[in-house]
Amino acid sequence: MSSHDSVHRLYQQHHSWLNTWLRCRLGNAADAADLAQDTFVRLLQRREQLELNAPRAFLRTIARGLVIDHWRREELQRAYLEALAQLPEAEVPSAETRELLLELLERIACLLDGLRPKVRTAFLLAQCEGLSHKQIAEQMGISLRSVERYVADALYHCYLLRYEP
Amino acid sequence: MNPSPRVVKQAIHWMLRVRENGASPQLQAQCEQWRSASHEHELAWQRVHSLQQEMNLRAVPGAGVVALQTLENSQQRLHRRQAMKLLGGVVMLGSAAWVSKDIGLLDPWTSDFATATGERRSIRLPDGSLLDLNTHTAADLAFDSRQRLVRLKHGELMLTCAEHPLGPAGRPLLVQSRDALLEGFDGRFVVRQERDCTRVTVSQGKVAIHHPGPAGLQWVAAGEAFLVNAQGATPVAQQNMDPGAWADGLIVTRNMRLGDFIDEVARYRHGYLSCSDDIANLRLSGVFRLEDTDKLLHLLPQTLPVHVSYRTRWWVRLERQA
Repeated sequence: MSSHDSVHRLYQQHHSWLNTWLRCRLGNAADAADLAQDTFVRLLQRREQLELNAPRAFLRTIARGLVIDHWRREELQRAYLEALAQLPEAEVPSAETRELLLELLERIACLLDGLRPKVRTAFLLAQCEGLSHKQIAEQMGISLRSVERYVADALYHCYLLRYEP
Repeated sequence: MNPSPRVVKQAIHWMLRVRENGASPQLQAQCEQWRSASHEHELAWQRVHSLQQEMNLRAVPGAGVVALQTLENSQQRLHRRQAMKLLGGVVMLGSAAWVSKDIGLLDPWTSDFATATGERRSIRLPDGSLLDLNTHTAADLAFDSRQRLVRLKHGELMLTCAEHPLGPAGRPLLVQSRDALLEGFDGRFVVRQERDCTRVTVSQGKVAIHHPGPAGLQWVAAGEAFLVNAQGATPVAQQNMDPGAWADGLIVTRNMRLGDFIDEVARYRHGYLSCSDDIANLRLSGVFRLEDTDKLLHLLPQTLPVHVSYRTRWWVRLERQA
């Protein structure tokens, strides 16, 4: 049986269940339908053998990842708008720059996923504000050595996600 | 072929050194030398460099502070959402800390964890369960092939069990307090070591109290709370306070005595905090943020006839408003 056939069968048997599962998480039928669709699209793109012994657990795993991506985007947008609201009007960037930045932030947020908060903060202070390691150490109240280790750890973490997923 | 982890780390090291001391020609030359030593070095360098470029927020005009705020705030809320809605708590949020994949640093699985007064911390355990430590708490782990044991030495912890109730190898998940051994199955529960007893509150799933004395085994279901001491385990009414809200950095009260509320807030502060007897029986309901307890105290006069008096920063007393 080709992998497309098995995806098709999964779709027939579990699509409405997955839709309901997603609706419970997202509280929104339109988003749920989109993500259910995306889940099966993901499956079609996979080259390895599908794990069909526990189809629902398998679908849930993929759908979960998509839900988190969806929420990440939402939360980024919300937090971005809040941050913009605090800027003086003259400093608010153009719509185009805003889109660009949001996209970049989303890429970065994905790469930073799973980092410890201190590691993350140290890295972001270097990356966003261009602070030196010494300034970061002072601001966070930790040693210079810790800052160096955190920033290097964060980069390595991103490297692995980017090049050796 | 992918560069080895060692070479990647070296490349990162060089890149950071050059970034920190960019102007030094000597350092530049040393870095060039390292890069040209092998193809592997150069490939790792190129990748780290382009990764750095891809993540370069300073290239977008006016991005700096806004980007930092956006990333930090959205991350906190994302984890709160995940914890609450999606994974039934398998992913944590403690407003102070977020630990996950790099738990691999803890090896072997025997570690000590402690928090200072006012600090909270989340630790992802090797089985995927989540351990939250509240203010002024110490615990250690003993995970081996037979059991997954968390010893609570003092303070308060919340345990959110991973999806497999017995773990991949069928090992029980245990919390040892001074008074009893608790066994968690699914769900989430809070264990608080009080002066003369242990308080167990289950918010999801169920917990078994294994009591050393004649009381033996006692089951605690979701929504129930028990006090355990040397004599045995006694069910108690739930407090007028959400038992696990601290893990989200909050105190959530429903008609709570002000005196009890102040005792609770005092756990998160250094120094002396109290209230006079004539207001201790006032009641309050609400959601209070723990991150700044001074601010929290200053909110009280808005809803209650009280006055916050500071003798020093660390000596605070609530009194009836004149």
